[in-house]
Amino acid sequence: MLAFLTARRAGLDDPLRLRRAESTRRVLNLKLNHDRDVDRIHGNGINTLDIETIEGRYMLSGGADGVIVVYDLENFSGSQQYTCKAVCTVGRSSRHVHKFSVETVQWYPYDTGMFVSSSFDKTMKVWDTETLKPAEVFEFEGNVYSHHLSPIAKKHTLIAVGTKNPKIQLCDLRSGSKIHILQGHRAEVLSVRWSPRYEHILATASADSKVKVWDVRRASSSLLTLDQHNGDKTKAASETVNTAHNGRVNGLCFTSDGLYLLTTGTDDRMRLWNGATGENTLVNYGKVCNESRKRLQFTVSRGCSPEFVFVPCGSSVAMYALHTGELITMLRGHYNNVDCCEFHPDYQELYTGGKDCNILAWVPVLRDPDEEEESNCVNKGVQGPSSVNPAFQDAWSSDED
Amino acid sequence: MDPSQRDRLSQLVEELTMSGQLQLNQEKMKEIKKICKMSNDCIDHVYHLVMSQLNQDHSEIRLSALQITNELFSRSHHFRTLVVNNFQEVLELTVETDSEQPLPPPKEVARKLRALAIQTVQAWYSSYGEAYKKLALGYHFLKKVKKVDFQDTEARTEVERTREAERHRRMEAIYKERVEAASKDMEDLYQEIETTLKEMESCMKLLFPEFDDTDIQSRPQIFQSASECESADEQPCCSRDLAEDGKETMIKEKQEEKICAEETRDEDDHMTDRPAKKLEEEEDDEEEEEGHNEDEGDSFIRSSGLISHSYSLDLTINPDLRIKENEDNEAVVSTLIELHRLLSSKHLPAVQGWIQVFTKSGAEQQLIRRALYLKQSIEAALQKHEELHIDYKSRVRRVMKASSDGEDDDNDDDDFEEVPEKEGYEPNIPEHLRAEYGLDPSPSTSTAPVTTKSSKQMASSTPLPSSSSSSSSASARRLKRLLEEQSDPTCVAATLQLRRQLEQSSFQSTSSTRSSKAAPVVPFGLDLYYWDEEQPNAGKIFKSSSQHQFWAHAPMEEEVENKELLAESRSRYISFPGSFTPVSHFCRARLDNGLLCQRQDRFKCPFHGRIIPRDAAGLPLTEGDRLREEREARRKREEEPDWRDPELMRDIELATGEDLGSDRAARKGKGKKKKYPNLTDLKQSSSTSRFRLEKKIFNKSAMRRVAQVMNKADSRKHDKFSNQFNYALK
Repeated sequence: MLAFLTARRAGLDDPLRLRRAESTRRVLNLKLNHDRDVDRIHGNGINTLDIETIEGRYMLSGGADGVIVVYDLENFSGSQQYTCKAVCTVGRSSRHVHKFSVETVQWYPYDTGMFVSSSFDKTMKVWDTETLKPAEVFEFEGNVYSHHLSPIAKKHTLIAVGTKNPKIQLCDLRSGSKIHILQGHRAEVLSVRWSPRYEHILATASADSKVKVWDVRRASSSLLTLDQHNGDKTKAASETVNTAHNGRVNGLCFTSDGLYLLTTGTDDRMRLWNGATGENTLVNYGKVCNESRKRLQFTVSRGCSPEFVFVPCGSSVAMYALHTGELITMLRGHYNNVDCCEFHPDYQELYTGGKDCNILAWVPVLRDPDEEEESNCVNKGVQGPSSVNPAFQDAWSSDED
Repeated sequence: MDPSQRDRLSQLVEELTMSGQLQLNQEKMKEIKKICKMSNDCIDHVYHLVMSQLNQDHSEIRLSALQITNELFSRSHHFRTLVVNNFQEVLELTVETDSEQPLPPPKEVARKLRALAIQTVQAWYSSYGEAYKKLALGYHFLKKVKKVDFQDTEARTEVERTREAERHRRMEAIYKERVEAASKDMEDLYQEIETTLKEMESCMKLLFPEFDDTDIQSRPQIFQSASECESADEQPCCSRDLAEDGKETMIKEKQEEKICAEETRDEDDHMTDRPAKKLEEEEDDEEEEEGHNEDEGDSFIRSSGLISHSYSLDLTINPDLRIKENEDNEAVVSTLIELHRLLSSKHLPAVQGWIQVFTKSGAEQQLIRRALYLKQSIEAALQKHEELHIDYKSRVRRVMKASSDGEDDDNDDDDFEEVPEKEGYEPNIPEHLRAEYGLDPSPSTSTAPVTTKSSKQMASSTPLPSSSSSSSSASARRLKRLLEEQSDPTCVAATLQLRRQLEQSSFQSTSSTRSSKAAPVVPFGLDLYYWDEEQPNAGKIFKSSSQHQFWAHAPMEEEVENKELLAESRSRYISFPGSFTPVSHFCRARLDNGLLCQRQDRFKCPFHGRIIPRDAAGLPLTEGDRLREEREARRKREEEPDWRDPELMRDIELATGEDLGSDRAARKGKGKKKKYPNLTDLKQSSSTSRFRLEKKIFNKSAMRRVAQVMNKADSRKHDKFSNQFNYALK
């Protein structure tokens, strides 16, 4: 670290380099930390999380009981120990609460005064954060699995909505109406994602095991359909032509630069695609357990030199190196299936929510205080009073000698 | 870490977990701790061992592993971090957090494991929850999501609780239904039972009036009042007196007026001794008392000849009442029987059932009280009926007679009763049946002993036998008693009988000509024809020296004596088969199942060789035999196939204390020995008949064989009919 600092000061290195190296180091040291807690508000599983990009301070969470909670992630107390407070809640007592499970929540990318949530009660609601009342309600024919607002769009305010209906709906926030549909899928659309690079590019994943990339300006058909065999007809059986997975595709995620697209499917695979050509990069991530029948929210780190993917894998979160497919570590802390994870790019923190009603904060632990303290203890002698929690001490009784 | 330590740890953990005990062996646990104390490597190793044991599909193993974990958890920080890092799995394996991974059998131990795991988690949380975040998370997960109630001693989850509540609700509904049905039944039957009870009450009142001892005791001992009360009390009893008996009882009265009070008491005692003739005596008793009372009353009136003004009179009132059925109270008694049967067989069980239903389901107090009242009154009635000791014995016969003869049968009975010794007298008994009848063989003395005996008995039992009112039933009873007495060896009748039989047999034996009977009967032959004489030409044959017919001279013919023939003609072959005597001894060699061989061969048992004297346990009496047998047994055992389960045999040996040779079998069957004898065998349950059959039927080779046969049949069809399209299509 010191070397990086001096190199930067000397102008040898790009300032970005230090930043990358440090954030990579921090990401690699993600641990379940005692110092960071998130209020337990949800009485049921947590389906979705979203951290706003403006300040990086507020986090939305949507639960399987229809409850939406806004957390304040910023720690102003000065002490290490911090519990993320729930700022406001759309609870069951609210008149406007979603009747059924909330599947997706998302901040309006330019302002925290608004957020959008969609639910299995066949509605998508646009909320005013101040009053916690819906400013607009879109109703659909089927369960809404996923929606997405383009994070970079300047020219449009479209919300892509994937529902039980194979047609993808495009809703315009300006007019408050469903202005367009995209046809091409044959089964319910589990996940939709705007490209963070090109504002008109939309990727959609469906239960018919296909992933399509659209340009919303040319809505007659999709730009391309991702093919797991890269068009190699010899490998593909006739029915698997142009499929991304051999099962339902329920997770979709662009890398932060928008150059690559990651998909997960119920065939327990994760695939990395070239965002421009739609080519399968054939990175082997091994088996990524995935039994979800709904959308799986996973995330990619931002600002690290090798980027990392955090993907829920059963009751733990697997962390892979994006381009090598190497499994870095398994973050084990949930006691039930994990449904969503969200990366905080500023502090390199990871928030995960699962069916066990917990939102866990994974915080970089840069040094291990226990080790130093313990070595201190050894130096001082066993009887010396230590500042470390006494629970960390061994308690061998003397009668074992 | 030392490899030796490593091995030792593995061994210890395995021993501890495979012991099948609910408690850990403290010695071994201490040793583990001692080794673990040395380095974290050891702890790592132990952790992996314990986790692998926790993953075993056997609750006993898991329980022991959890106990080890608990021991080490409280000791080592390193172990704690390891366990907490993998806490999900630990919980899955011990608390059953994943519904798709239920705890393995045996069920009982699985429940214990669960309870222990929940307790343990709580203990860990309370002491280490702050330090280890994941532990706290796990605790909250159990508490919030799995709804484990840590206070609940049974450590049930939400699902179990709801299931329990559901069951409870269902049971309540069932109970309610039952209570309703029972109360309805009770409503219906209440009147009926009441009337039945009332009828029974009145029947019993008719048979025997209310009679309270307390009244008597409270009475003053002054004689007069006593006598008055007595007579008043006894008055209803007279209603029992039979009309026909009236005269006779009067006569009796006269006869017995002289008997004093002490004698009355004696009579009373006597009466209790002889239940058979209680009625008569009861009557007597009562009449005596009446007479006495009169007498005393008179004397009191006169009051001159008395020594004292007040007498104390001891009245023994027999508490156990006996009522005998007779013509007079027959109707009442039969009604009573009917009612009794109705109450005891129908109403009482019904009432008891109601009470059961009511108490079980916690019905209204009023219902229960009502049912209890019914039960009490029924029981009281039955008890009272018991106390009456009604003699029903002659009832069946009486009813039959009544049905056949009609109304006149009482008179007929009387006619026949003129001859009291009817059952003893049987003039035409054949000679050979006399013994059976208990009679003397000679017809001239046939009836004499019986008559005398019975008359004796009559004298002892009833003063006036011929005039007894119910002689037909009484005589039957008498005959029965006679027979009983004969079967009793201490009785005179029995002795007489025995002597008679002895005499008979001795007479037979002396007069018979035993020798002639014993002589064999043989077919007639030459030897008998010339019995005691010289046989003239026995054994002589003509022998011609020359075979020629004409050229031989006459005197050449001569007789030659043949010794063999001579002997033949004189002797006689008598084949003597002897009489068949059945074999009375058993082989009595000890069998494997502990019994003795029951074969009855004459000389040699095909299984156990020559039959030799043996003791009660089946061991030979002589030393040599015993040695030989042991030698043979040993040889046999060595040859024996290894089918015997040494475990089972050891158990049996422990139970019986006898050596069945299990250690030998165990030594031989090294491969078959179970590795962990104390663990509950989970496979045992899988060896059901269905399982075994399945194993046979779905055996790979069997399936293949069947498939082959079917293919063959198929192919034959193809061979034959392949050219014919309508077969080929099939």
